[in-house]
Amino acid sequence: MQQLLNGIFLGSIYALFAIGFTLVFGVLDRLNLAHSAVFSTSAFVGIELVTRAGLSIWVTLPIIFVFGGVLGLVIERVAFRPLKGRHDAHFAGLISSIALGAMFLALLQAGFGPDTRRFPPDAFPQQRIEFAGSTVSLLQLVIVAVAFALMVGLTLMVSRSRLGRGMRAVAENPHAARVLGIDVDRITALTFALSSALGGVAGVLFALNVNSAQISMGTSIELKGLAVIIVGGLGSLPGAMLGGLIVGLAEVFAVTYVGSSWRDVIAFGLLFSILLLRPQGIFGARKVREI
Amino acid sequence: MLEFVDAYASTITFMALTGVFAYSFYAVLVAGQLSLAQAGIASAAAFTSSLAVPAEPLFGVVPRLVVGIAVGMSVGAFLAFLLGLPVMRLRGVFLAIATLAFGEVVRILLINQSWTGGAQGLSFPKLVGIPQAWLALAAVAYWFWRLGGSRLGRAFAAIREDELAARAMGIDVSRHRMTAFVTSGAVAGLYGVMLAYFVRFAEPNAFGFSAAVDGLVTAVVGGTTLFIGPLLGSTFLTWLPELQRAIGVEAGWIRPFVSGLLLLLVILFLPGGLAALIPHRRRGTMTHPDAPPDLPPLPAPGTPIASLRAIRKDYGGVHAVRDVDLDIAAGEIVGLIGPNGAGKTTLVNIVSGLVPPSGGEGTVVGIALGSGVPAHSIALAGVSRTFQQIKLFNRLSALDNVLVGAHRVSRPTLLRRLVLLPSARRDEKRALGQAFAQLTRVGLADRARLPAGDLSYGDQRRLEIARALAAHPTLLILDEPAAGMNHVEAQRLSVLIRALAEDGVTVLLIEHNVRMVLETCTRVVVLDFGEVIAAGDPATIARDPRVVEAYLGAEDDQEETA
Amino acid sequence: MRRLTGSIAGAAVLALALSACGSGDSATTGGGGGASALKGTGTGDTCKITTPVPIGAVFSLTGAAASYGESQKKGLELAAEELKAKGGVTYDVKIEDDATDPQQGIAVFERFVTKDKKSLIIGPTLSNTAKQTDPVAQEGKTPVLAVSNTAAGITEIGDYIFRDSLTEGAVIPQTVAAAKTKFGLSKVVVMYSNDDAFTESGYQAFKAALDKSGVTITKTITFAKSDTDFRAQLTEAKGAAPEALVVSALIEAAVPLVTQARELGITVPIIGGNGFNSPKLMTGAGKSADGVVVGAAWNSASSGPENEAFLTAYRAKYSADPDQFAAQAYTGLKLVDAAVRAGCSGEREDIKKNLAGLKDVPTALGKFTMTATRDADTPAVVQVVEGGKFAVLK
Repeated sequence: MQQLLNGIFLGSIYALFAIGFTLVFGVLDRLNLAHSAVFSTSAFVGIELVTRAGLSIWVTLPIIFVFGGVLGLVIERVAFRPLKGRHDAHFAGLISSIALGAMFLALLQAGFGPDTRRFPPDAFPQQRIEFAGSTVSLLQLVIVAVAFALMVGLTLMVSRSRLGRGMRAVAENPHAARVLGIDVDRITALTFALSSALGGVAGVLFALNVNSAQISMGTSIELKGLAVIIVGGLGSLPGAMLGGLIVGLAEVFAVTYVGSSWRDVIAFGLLFSILLLRPQGIFGARKVREI
Repeated sequence: MLEFVDAYASTITFMALTGVFAYSFYAVLVAGQLSLAQAGIASAAAFTSSLAVPAEPLFGVVPRLVVGIAVGMSVGAFLAFLLGLPVMRLRGVFLAIATLAFGEVVRILLINQSWTGGAQGLSFPKLVGIPQAWLALAAVAYWFWRLGGSRLGRAFAAIREDELAARAMGIDVSRHRMTAFVTSGAVAGLYGVMLAYFVRFAEPNAFGFSAAVDGLVTAVVGGTTLFIGPLLGSTFLTWLPELQRAIGVEAGWIRPFVSGLLLLLVILFLPGGLAALIPHRRRGTMTHPDAPPDLPPLPAPGTPIASLRAIRKDYGGVHAVRDVDLDIAAGEIVGLIGPNGAGKTTLVNIVSGLVPPSGGEGTVVGIALGSGVPAHSIALAGVSRTFQQIKLFNRLSALDNVLVGAHRVSRPTLLRRLVLLPSARRDEKRALGQAFAQLTRVGLADRARLPAGDLSYGDQRRLEIARALAAHPTLLILDEPAAGMNHVEAQRLSVLIRALAEDGVTVLLIEHNVRMVLETCTRVVVLDFGEVIAAGDPATIARDPRVVEAYLGAEDDQEETA
Repeated sequence: MRRLTGSIAGAAVLALALSACGSGDSATTGGGGGASALKGTGTGDTCKITTPVPIGAVFSLTGAAASYGESQKKGLELAAEELKAKGGVTYDVKIEDDATDPQQGIAVFERFVTKDKKSLIIGPTLSNTAKQTDPVAQEGKTPVLAVSNTAAGITEIGDYIFRDSLTEGAVIPQTVAAAKTKFGLSKVVVMYSNDDAFTESGYQAFKAALDKSGVTITKTITFAKSDTDFRAQLTEAKGAAPEALVVSALIEAAVPLVTQARELGITVPIIGGNGFNSPKLMTGAGKSADGVVVGAAWNSASSGPENEAFLTAYRAKYSADPDQFAAQAYTGLKLVDAAVRAGCSGEREDIKKNLAGLKDVPTALGKFTMTATRDADTPAVVQVVEGGKFAVLK
């Protein structure tokens, strides 16, 4: 039972990271590899706010949401907008986001040094809850709740709001959207901002969960994040949530039944199989080829 | 100078080795595939070679490094083949992610083995120095240089630019992509082995995600369309940290920041990579192309070319084509007309093999239609086409476009080019002759060197026809070739088509310009809602009341078309 | 734009070539034969050498191992400062970054050996990098003093390679023996990160020592060095009901592991390898760290005079407690100084000879003797966390 819970919590963290990731891919067909840098940077800044400025975690989270959004705007403007219309925009965007991410991390080291940073011990109530013979921390419950709330909120926003409609139009056909008077540049910028805002919050929650933040914390989760969005379906928000849970549970059960050395092989093996059997993932839509 | 080499021997060697690694990415990128498995493959090759390389030269004669390289490249090619089989149908980002996952799986597998030393790695003797590394690089670069002007190289470029059009030119896309994959695996294997025997060590972790990304960055920074690209990329990236050290940039966070910044600038401002900085010398050598090769004669007039019975195509609930019978005989110019959405393009897609029919039977140039028949085999049998939306290889020159079209009638030249056999040059010249002949036929010979994307709309349409003609087709399908042309241009096109028919080419023409159709074609077939509503010679069709009503409009408008 | 890029590139290449050729002439100090400026008069504390002895250090200041390299840099710089104040012999210490990239490490070693003609190289940070860089120094007959390499196969590279860092193989048997006596262990669960050379060698040392003392390992659980969430693995471990948890991990993983173990209700003792030997264990894990047993190559609680002086000076300069990396780097330069003064020569050959001959040198790591295989012989210690500080386990 404890393992089941472990899997759910691990999965919700993966999902939190993946939600932002899949948003950009779903709407703009771009893979933003600077997302991991936003993740790390936000964790560090969050820790700084709590430690230095003495802010409560509940105040810090919204601030980080905005901070992440700003980073997203920067990423879009610097790494992706100049590549618009270029025939190799896909590869180039991949690399420009990698380069920008590396620059962010270098600045992070400049500002905070290379060491691991931690939250002060009282940053979050340390409550533990006993449930069916297993231990669960309040923080873990909060993380699941936040991930779920964000997913629901985002899905509602995309399907109901004007911004959401614009995003869906751009996702279908950017040219037609532009012709119809939709400000594609603004939608693009907002999508990135939203995606990075989510990534930033994910970073802070992740750091809280393990009480540590390292400059490289984004890299390993980025790979898992890729697995999650493929399994769940590129561009699908419920897919990111479900994909995260599936990958998290699969990893935990791999540790229990197969052997912990093979844990990561499970995630990537799952990824590989999905790509072969059902490339659009569980919830993704298959794009129709036009002749 | 010698002191410089001494002090920077390793950097000079890494320059070459990183170049080899970058070439393994180049090998797949030329064909438009983004594969990130090379790091994992290099790792597997290095460790496998450690098992196979003997302590003494083989049979006393073959150097140990040669054994290692042979083993490594074979392992690399084999792994790439195994990986390629399942992922061949993936495209773009999906392919990248799948190959990345493969690389990670290889890394974890290797780390858990004891024969690789696990995380503590394995020691290797030093067998590689500056000469070996640069020799390897030169060999690899030579291969890709020779690839550039060969039929295979052009096929890769075509697949990269427009996969569907490449298929329609007779290029077996799956086989070509697999070839690119396996080449990439072999080169990655070479890199893995050379690296291990140079730094005397290998550990699985050194070949993970970061290594793969580094290799990709090197290839893209260098440029992925010119063979010199990977070498430029590796030069730039290998010397960058040393340059920073020499200039005195302080050790610490500044260096990765500067590296990232420079990378960003190169990507943003140099779209073709560093290779774009090299002034591109257009090949001026072929000013006197040979005469076109002797090509097999086209079928005698009247020979059946295509015959379709009760052909049907359904997309879900939409019946795009229903119960169509169609016969085409050699020497005919068959016009296919009908309102928008009548199913003309779908029918033509079926005839050219791009789309399998949902029902009915048909034979085109001797091949039976069906879902197992790949498009390129019908193209290779003698069917050539143009597309409703122009599908040229935009970044290639007009001449190169037509050369790709000549794929079917030209011979593979890469292997002979590698050993500089004169017969390869002769075959290339003949292909050029064929290409120039078609360009002249459509009146574009003077614009041969221009990139296809830079031509005017009318010229592009004509170029597409030239490309289709280069295949010496038995059946030429033209899908709305006169779209957007004015009256004079349409007239000229009509003259061209009739000249083609006189040369023996059978033509199937879709057009909305009904006057042109009635003037040019020997027979007209009218489609509406996926069915044939009339067929016959132009004069009869023009008067057919059903046709007039469905397509030409009400009685009053008849004046316009008579 | 093109012309500008081209001229920048051209200028850069020119600068590089010039700097390469230019400094070649000035390398008359050190290394070369003849009447050498690096030999002095006197011996020991009275030794005087007029020319600064050129020392190169290669640490990972950026990249994955940056936090260790940073510590090492601090330790080294403190030692350099103190030696400067001492006088008689001066050292020109140049610290370079290998960016946790063996290729850069090799390039820097090459430069230090051939162009800059350093008398000795300190470093590099990671063992797996050392396996690739040290052969360059060995071939170039330049002594290397490793201050953090603990894997097997380092000093075997050649007779110019030395180290002052105790291997896990030297520390762990003591740790296991002490823990077994204190806790009466008969069955344990072992956890380690199997994708890191250091922790893997630590695991192998633990396994050998546990097997030798007749302690059963009921379960072996692995994790990745970059992992920070161990709840799945710890739940597995808890299920095996061990009498103790034996862990070989780097400090980044150790802290969350210990914290989460306590969170999940694992109350049995935790026994860690060298990677746990850092003040970050207490600052990071807080109360959860209490009772954790750590096998250490450097005793942060030791009261030897050299160590006391080191601790005081380090705290004064950096306002933080040093860790094992800092201590070993600091000691490294002090040992080099001892070797130089012993023969009163900063020449490579003399340093090599005298490093090999170091015996009972008082250092912050304890009494240091260089073994016949050029490895460190210092007292290992078994520590336990008590009241937020390391204390010696009794």
